[in-house]
Amino acid sequence: MLSLKLLWRNWRSGELRLLAAALLLAVAVVSAIAIFTQRLEGALIKQSNTFLGADRVVRSSRSLPVEWYDSAEEAGLKQAQTLLFNSMTFAGDAMYLASIKAVSDEYPLLGELEISEEAFNHRSTTLERIQSGPPRGEVWVDSRLLPLLDIELGERLFVGESEFLASKVLVREPDRGDSLSLLGARLMMHIDDVPATEVIQPGSRIRHNWLLSGEETQLVSFLDNLKKEFSPHERIMDLQASQRGLSSTLDRGKQFLGLAAMIGLLLAGLAIAIAAQQFARRHTDQVALLKSLGAGANHIRSLYAKQLFLLAVLASLGGLALGEVLQRAIASIVSSMYPLDLAFAGVWPYSLGLLTGLLCLLCFALPPLWQLPTVPPIRVLRRDIHVATVSGFWQAALGIAAVFILVAVYSQNLVLTAVVMVGFFALLALAAGIALLMLKLGRAWGSRSGSSWRLAWASLLRHRGQTVAQILVFATAIMLLLVIFVVRTSLIEEWRYKLPEDAPNHFLVNIAQHEVDTVRDLFAEENLELQGLYPMVRARLTEINNSKPDEALKKEVGVLNREANLSWTPDLPEDNRLLEGKWWPDMNLQGQTPYVSVEQEIAQRLNLKLGDKLGFSVGGLNLEAEVSSIRSLDWDSMRPNFYFLFSPGTLDSYSPTYLSSVYIPSEKKPLINELLRESPTILVVELDLVIEQIQNLTAQVSDGVELVLVLVLFAGVMVLLAAVNASMDYRLQEAGILRALGSSRQRILGSTALEFICLGALAGLLAVIGAELLLLGMQQWVLETPLQAHPLLWLAGPIIGAAIVCAMGLWASRRVVTVPPLQVLRELA
Amino acid sequence: MLKVTELGKVVNTAAGDLEILQEISFQLAKGESLAIVGASGSGKSTLLGILAGLDTASHGDVELAGQSLKSLDEEGRAALRAECVGFVFQSFQLLPGLTALENVMLPLELHGHQDARQRAEKFLQRVGLDHRLEHYPKQLSGGEQQRVAIARAFANEPTILFADEPTGNLDAKTGATIIELLFELNKEQGTTLVLVTHEERLAARCQRRITLEAGRLEHTVAGAEAAPC
Repeated sequence: MLSLKLLWRNWRSGELRLLAAALLLAVAVVSAIAIFTQRLEGALIKQSNTFLGADRVVRSSRSLPVEWYDSAEEAGLKQAQTLLFNSMTFAGDAMYLASIKAVSDEYPLLGELEISEEAFNHRSTTLERIQSGPPRGEVWVDSRLLPLLDIELGERLFVGESEFLASKVLVREPDRGDSLSLLGARLMMHIDDVPATEVIQPGSRIRHNWLLSGEETQLVSFLDNLKKEFSPHERIMDLQASQRGLSSTLDRGKQFLGLAAMIGLLLAGLAIAIAAQQFARRHTDQVALLKSLGAGANHIRSLYAKQLFLLAVLASLGGLALGEVLQRAIASIVSSMYPLDLAFAGVWPYSLGLLTGLLCLLCFALPPLWQLPTVPPIRVLRRDIHVATVSGFWQAALGIAAVFILVAVYSQNLVLTAVVMVGFFALLALAAGIALLMLKLGRAWGSRSGSSWRLAWASLLRHRGQTVAQILVFATAIMLLLVIFVVRTSLIEEWRYKLPEDAPNHFLVNIAQHEVDTVRDLFAEENLELQGLYPMVRARLTEINNSKPDEALKKEVGVLNREANLSWTPDLPEDNRLLEGKWWPDMNLQGQTPYVSVEQEIAQRLNLKLGDKLGFSVGGLNLEAEVSSIRSLDWDSMRPNFYFLFSPGTLDSYSPTYLSSVYIPSEKKPLINELLRESPTILVVELDLVIEQIQNLTAQVSDGVELVLVLVLFAGVMVLLAAVNASMDYRLQEAGILRALGSSRQRILGSTALEFICLGALAGLLAVIGAELLLLGMQQWVLETPLQAHPLLWLAGPIIGAAIVCAMGLWASRRVVTVPPLQVLRELA
Repeated sequence: MLKVTELGKVVNTAAGDLEILQEISFQLAKGESLAIVGASGSGKSTLLGILAGLDTASHGDVELAGQSLKSLDEEGRAALRAECVGFVFQSFQLLPGLTALENVMLPLELHGHQDARQRAEKFLQRVGLDHRLEHYPKQLSGGEQQRVAIARAFANEPTILFADEPTGNLDAKTGATIIELLFELNKEQGTTLVLVTHEERLAARCQRRITLEAGRLEHTVAGAEAAPC
């Protein structure tokens, strides 16, 4: 009770406000980011799962046992089935091997189908979003199927023995699947219509998809149990497995938000430590008085511990409330821009927020406050009595431990933790050395300059220890802000770079040799350019070093079980990197055996080395090649990628077809119709919708990131304010004396401004050094992006540092010149 | 009430050990008043601190309310202070963030008195500050602040009161009022009073007086020689 009263009185007297505000901010930053990230992640995963059409898909090449459906029903999961197979479709004399998808009534569980009444115009207002497939007796088709079968919408077509009405154009289906796989034109029908078509015969290649949705925990436990009954034919697909590009986008976003939370937390922690130090200094006399009034050390310890605990709880609750408000604000901004269904974040981020308050107090505030109860009571009579404090070594050790624990808990990434820690403490050591050196060098210069400079420099030197400490704090805050700013910028630019405006959004597959010129001319007429033209041969890898791969390896590596696309090219594709071996121009290609360059991941899984011999079966013909290089490639690039690239000309005799990609703006989409009428065998894979979806996701994540940055900025400003405030007592006292001695306001203001400018500029310079080091570490080990320096920072750091520190310093010390000097001196006496 | 035997205090300085107090012995009965006088640096405040159990002696012992301070650790001395010691300081030592009333309530609350507010109000009324209860120290004059400090010291009904230059920061007129108040309350409550002072008027009001010179007891004036309280 007494603790509560004391807490209230301390609060009222303003002594706790900085500490409380720093705590509140720490909790607000962490909880807002944690809650928002959780919600965003949930929503994005949900949205991304629409790429699956469900939360999970069990994929099989055989029909699944009916009992499984029943048990999913019992487990309260939503389910739907789809069948995928290729079948001939007919209309009049025209026929086409379509890629058929038969769906049950519940399909899709997540996401929507987009259908239209008009072919090749999916941006028209006629676009309709619907959460079910076609009714029985009707089929929905890809625009390109219509010219291929020479029909219009509303006309009829045959699939096997059954006749259907082609009622709508199918513009988008959520689970179109791997966008780069070679698909025939889609025809979607009702699953109950399939038997009547009689197209499914024993031995037909059919893919059965069982779509499941429900509570994540329920799904996981259900599938964990079911997995035991899986045959080798079944496989569970989740987002990770189905969409590499998307999940890496999400991971980046999450990484950034985690980093932002961590930096916000470090900044707030710093503010807490400074505020606690100030609190301890101000309470030394109070403790001595309480002791003289008969309170023992234990009593004092308990009084302060209870006060701090109460403060932590109250500030954490406040922080949590603020965090909730902030995350709601962020969420509403994000959702107003994009239709995003943000789910409840769960209890964990809230608990994490509360835990943060206690953890921060324990780690940052306790060390400076630890010795408070040992203040000797005689200090009430003798102010000059020295008060023992926790040694600098222990404070630093506790601080390092605290930072490590917090960073590790919040980032859940030990590499990131290590990089941040090493950067952080290397900077501290380096900065302390450089700061001292610069102060020393500046002394001679300062003594030759004008009186304001001399005063400013003398003040910085007189409090050398405090000056260095302040520079370190300012530098740390500015460094962390620079890091977060640069990472954000490069992150967003990297995404944009990956998906430029005119990125190819259509793939043209199966172009015959004689059609190449026609196709090129057709696009050239519209000022569109084909991006690369790759010859392509379908082949199966049958032998490695003259022996057949064993069954175990076959099960593990998909490429051994199906036909792969082989290609050749004289130049290394733009986004490929040679990891081992040589590229063609550096080799002698005159030998008998052709050479092949293999993608790194496949090479690793098949345990391939340079010089290994690979045997392929190309439509019954054998082809042997020697591995001459290993390449990495960028799966997110939206360009054709090949596991196996041969030396030029190798595949000429295997009747290749060609693959190309092209950017077609939406208004020129009818061009596809024309192309397909002229060359009906060409497959057009429309990627524009997939790209649009990825771009939307990227935009959502980066908007969230921008708003989170505002929170971190607040934390940074808080640290700077705390540091300026902590030095205010002695500044006020000195200025009071100077004014009493007759210094003009202008001179005091001038020297104070110069002092803060020097502090800020030095700190800014050190911050840039630290930020560069930290960024290099992160580029190298965490973000895995190319190493890159940031020359602009070197200019911006000192200028921003000087400007911010000077502005805040002057604002905080405005009393120096506005309050009569006598009052200032009396208050501080 | 207070028995001092062969008291000495040595501190370590850069120049070697320094004896601040040497061989000081005297006794004080319950209800008596004692002035400790001497020049600046003679060790008055150090002696006061040791007598009140705020600091420890290097040699000798102090018996306060029948309890040897040497035998007590800091917690024990704090308990003894809580039970029977009150303080008045030269610089008042009021907490700036607390109102006059709260400053007086603080020691009462520390010791768990349920009627802290009523008692604090009563003593503030007694020192003539019942109209200043909710004022903060910086809103009070020096004399008023010292009256609050006196109310705080007496509110806990101590058996012995230590005062360190209680009028040192006040002008002569205000100082005189404070002296009056101090001795009135002392008389009303039968408190033993030990004060350090430079001021002759104040020392003269005490029943006994000791003079310190360079840490030694130079002169003791007792009973009849002192002016009556």
